Parts: sequence; C-alpha cells; structure tokens
Amino acid sequence: MVINFAFVAAALLGITAFAFRVEAGTYSGFWEALQSSDKLILLAGNLFLTWLWSRSPYSIAKKVVPSFEKSMGYSVNEQMSLLDYRIACEKQKSWMPSVLINAILVFYLAGGIYYLAAQFYDATVLNGADLAKIALGSLLYGALWARSRHSLGRTIVERTNPVLKSVHIAHTGNWLKTFSGIFTVVLAAFTLYAGFLVTKIDTWKLVSAKGINGAINIFGSLVRPDWSITASVLNSMVETIFIALMATLIAVPIAFFLSFFTARNLMKGHAWTLVVYNFFRISLNFTRSIEPLVWAIIFSVWVGVGPFAGMLALMLHSVASLCKLYSEQIESIDRGPIEAMEATGANRVLTVWYGVVPQIILPYVSFTIYRWDINVRMATVIGLVGGGGIGNLLNLYMLQARWEQVGTIVIVVALVVWTMDYLSAKIREAVY
Amino acid sequence: MSFILDIGGLNKLYDNGVHAVKNISFQVKEGEFLAIIGLSGSGKSTLLRMINRLIESSSGEIIFNSHSQGQLLNVTQLSPRELRQYRRKIGMIFQHFNLVKRKSVLTNVLSGGLGGASTAKGVFQLFTPEERALAMKHLETVGLAEKAKNRADELSGGQQQRVAIARALMQDPEILLADEPVASLDPATSHSVMNYLEYANRQLGKTIICNLHFLSLVRQYATRVIALKKGEMVFDGSALDINEAWFREIYGEEAREVEIR
Repeated sequence: MVINFAFVAAALLGITAFAFRVEAGTYSGFWEALQSSDKLILLAGNLFLTWLWSRSPYSIAKKVVPSFEKSMGYSVNEQMSLLDYRIACEKQKSWMPSVLINAILVFYLAGGIYYLAAQFYDATVLNGADLAKIALGSLLYGALWARSRHSLGRTIVERTNPVLKSVHIAHTGNWLKTFSGIFTVVLAAFTLYAGFLVTKIDTWKLVSAKGINGAINIFGSLVRPDWSITASVLNSMVETIFIALMATLIAVPIAFFLSFFTARNLMKGHAWTLVVYNFFRISLNFTRSIEPLVWAIIFSVWVGVGPFAGMLALMLHSVASLCKLYSEQIESIDRGPIEAMEATGANRVLTVWYGVVPQIILPYVSFTIYRWDINVRMATVIGLVGGGGIGNLLNLYMLQARWEQVGTIVIVVALVVWTMDYLSAKIREAVY
Repeated sequence: MSFILDIGGLNKLYDNGVHAVKNISFQVKEGEFLAIIGLSGSGKSTLLRMINRLIESSSGEIIFNSHSQGQLLNVTQLSPRELRQYRRKIGMIFQHFNLVKRKSVLTNVLSGGLGGASTAKGVFQLFTPEERALAMKHLETVGLAEKAKNRADELSGGQQQRVAIARALMQDPEILLADEPVASLDPATSHSVMNYLEYANRQLGKTIICNLHFLSLVRQYATRVIALKKGEMVFDGSALDINEAWFREIYGEEAREVEIR
C-alpha cells in the first residue's frame, strides 16, 4: 500500500507541478502557491487512487512484494477448483477496465455538461484544474458504480471476457428502468443536444436568398466550361493518374510484407511476436490516422512541391490502409491448412506460404485495384496542397475564382474517376 | 511388441475454463490401429492434437519411442526445432481435409514432405525428381495418380481425403493421426477412405490413432478402442467387447446405435 501510495503521490505531484510551470513558467514557489483546499483534494485523490490501484493484480506493490497478494486476502484457496481460480483471477483483472469504462462515461457526461455551460451560457474558458477535479470525481464515482454488476462498465467487460461471460448474471426485467438504462438514455439525449449546439445547425441559412444566389452563380459557371484549357488539364490529369499508380505499386509489396506481422492470429503465439505485432499495429494506425493531406504538406516541405511529394504522401497512406485490409483478410482465413502444414513439421515461413498465402492472394489483388481507384481520387485532393497533378491546377483557378475553368477540370476529373470506378469494379469481378 | 507412444496423466484446461481432457493415461503399441470414440465435445480432438502438440497440454507427459532413432523422446519438453523434427514422424489427416485448395493435387502431396525443407525450396517449389516420383507413387497408392495436375478443390470430398492421406504418407510417418477422417463423407466414400487407412496400417506398418463416430466402422477396422466421456477415459479394450451396456455407458442412456455398412 505504501509503495503504491508513493508512486501515485509522485505522479500526482508531478502533474500538478507541471501544470503550475505551464502557467507560471517556473517550478519555484509551487508548493506555497497551492491552496490548502487543493492540498486536501490532492491527498484525497492520492488515497483513492492508491486504493483503486491496489485492487489491480498489476499494481506495482504486488510486483515488488510477492506476499502482498496474500496479505490483501486475494490468495489462492487450496480448496478452490481450477475453474473457480480462473474466475477469481479474471475478476481481479477485469476490475480496472470496468472502473475505467464507468469513469469515462461519467466524465463524458459531467465534463460535457460543464463544457456546454462554460461555452454557451457563461462564456468562461475551460479550466484545466476544474476538469481535473471532474475527472477525479468521475473516477471515484466509476469505482463505486463498478461495485454493481449491472453497471455499464462491468456489463461490457464481463460480457466480452471469455471466462466471465459464462458466469455473468444478466439483468432481468425492463433494462430501461435500471440506473444503467436511464444513464444510457440521458447520455444519448445529451449527445444529440450537444451535437446540435456545437455544429451550430441553422436551417435558415440554408434557404436564405443571398446564399442561394451565390451558389447559383458558381453552379452556373461550372456548367459553362472553358474548353480552351483542355490540353493543360489533360496533361495534369496524366500526372495525377501516374502519381496514384506509382503510390499503389510501391505500397503493395511493403504492405504485403508487413501484413503478416500485423495479423493477430499469426502473431499471438509468443510474447516477442506480440511486441512486434503491437509495434507495427500502433505505428501503422498512427500513420493511417494522419490524413494524406497532412502527409502531402510534410513531404512537400521535405522533397519540395510537386508530384514526388504527392506520390510519397499517397504511398505512405496506402501502405497503412492496405496493411490493415490485408491483415484483416489474414485474420479471417480458414485455420485448417495452417494446422495441416504445422503437422508436417514445416518451418514457420513455409507454414504461412502454403497455409495462408493461397487463401489471401485473390482478395489482395481485389483490394489493391480498389486502392488504386481510391488513390486517383485522393491524388486530386492532394494536388491542392502542393502534391502536383490536376489538384494543383484546380487550386490555381479556384483561388482566382475562375469558375468556368474550374468547371472544365471538374468534368475531366469526374470522367476519369468514373472510368476508373467502372474498370476497377469489372476487374475485381473478374478476379474473384 | 514395444510401445510407440506412452501417455501419462494428460490434462487440458482451456482458457475459457473448459476441462477438456482429464488425467488420461494409455500406451499405444507399434502397428496398432487405435480408435478413439466418444460424443462430440468429449475431448477426442483435443487429445489427438496434444499428441503432435497442435494443442499444448496443461499437464502430464507424452513419451515417443521412435524405432527409427531408437530413443525415447519426451514430447512435452521439446524445443521448437526438436518439435518440428518430431512432427515429421507424426502424420495427420483432418475432418475437413485441410488441403491447400488453390494448388494442384501433386503440390499438395509434395507439401507433406516440407518438414525440414529450406524456406527457398518450399517457396519456389524446388522439388527433386525423386520427391516428385515418390509423391506420384503415393498418389497411385490412393488411386488418384491421374488427378495429379488437377486443382485440389476440383476433387470430391472422398478424393480430397485420399490426397490428404497421400500427403501424410509423403512425410514417411511412424504414427498417423486421423481426426474424424470420414465424419463429413457419405457411407460409401467412408469405407473407401477407411480402406486406405487400413492399407497404411497393415501393408505399410504405420501405427494409426483415429477418432471415429461410428461404432460399426470401429468394429470393422480398429484393433483396439479407447472411449472418452466428458474428458475421461471410460473404456479401453477390443471393439468386440463393446456391448449394449458399454454403449449406453459411453454415449448416454438415450443413445441408439446407427449402423453404417
């Protein structure tokens, strides 16, 4: 308990001190500046977090002091059956996630109400200290709520746990009348209401005369395209198509290779392979979550504005996306042939080559063609930020508000995209 | 005759808490055709897969007495490399055949011999003429030589299972494990497949451990029977000794025997 306390205290103090430094620019005088009420909250939070953490089988104290588990009364009873022991272990492990899910939901509701109140009625800015207090309160509430087996967090965690699933007692009767049910309804209603407020939905603006006139003006120009620039448009279009093609071609072998390391069913066997799996999964997810538009900006600084930067941006994004699609395909294959290859005593690479690859090769081809199709469309957008190709030209005319020329480009792009769409659909049909 | 496999106190507890195999011990003699019977979910498949460690046992030990190497092998303690060596001596066929569907029948048979092969050899299919000839010989054994160039998924279920037998023979195993080899086949094809297993047993001298559903097949082909019920061994003896009382004991009170001819 003391060990846990020390760790939590250090962490909390560190965070508070850092927050102070951000505000004041220095660490000195930070303890004196704390009000006594803040100190009390810190202490209470510390005690609470320590207690919470000590319930988890992963707490530092339990790692450092092996007998700690016994002193807390979580020891293995000799009389317990193996199954009961498993259930007890899983219950311990599932405690923390249940509390966290509960706390996140409560924090979302409480913090959200606070945010709306600040934003729309008070006009005060969000305050970090207040949010921290709400977070701490939510955690406390989440922990208390998790004592109910019908609380949202515990229901979710226990229903998804292979061991606890069988012993979870579902609520009988009208779920909507339980606290969890009411909470869910309030959460949904609040989300909808907040959504309206935040996105500032205003139907009147959509039908105002001035706005409509402006739109008509642009649309009118778009349907009167200027065909005199066709040659330069086609020139740029070729560039765009090849940017997409090269991005796809380079991405495919990389993604093919990586996909085996990001498929859970192939990598879950050993702790080390799981580390590799998680490393690739996380870094690829990170890469994918950054829009190609942002990558294009990064690369246009790196290698200079032009088609090369656009190609690199698309390539990177394609690797991440294809890898996800590919590895999902691997995860859904029939395990039988893998088992058969393992039974012959073949090595790991050959097991994958004979047991996995023949099953995934067709979906891979199909995904790849589809990706090329997507890349052509994306290459247009990427050109807007210096990725070269048709987007570059589009940006040029749009900035000058020359809508007739923009109209020409839009028509050419639409034609090419439509052709690609049609071709890729037909080819994919033929491949399957 | 000496034993080829000695299983002692074998247990399997799955992560979801199911105790699939409970403290099972038995010996397999060389040249036996051992059938394992029991209801679905009685632990037959788990037991079979623990023998070549496709499933890891929770406790207990398995001793393999290799007559080619003349030494005792503690199967549960093998390193990954030794495990692959060991698996080459244990062929396996499956209920759903588990062939590589998009490859030719011949390649499927050749893939049985990939244990111990280098990665490059397997990936680029650099099989020697001797290996190809051997694979063709095994295909002739199961009567499918003329289908060698066909894709595996063009064959019927019974034919695919025969290809699987040829693939298992390709690794020149000492033991052949068969996990319900005829459960997804019709009665006529079932007998054809069982006949080839019997041939491997009697003529080629392979020890066979086979999970089966139908008692009539067991009586016809097996030299010895083990019965599992809820993970425990309830019978060990000759198939002819399974009378009405034993049958109810193994399959439950309401069960009635279905004949397959």
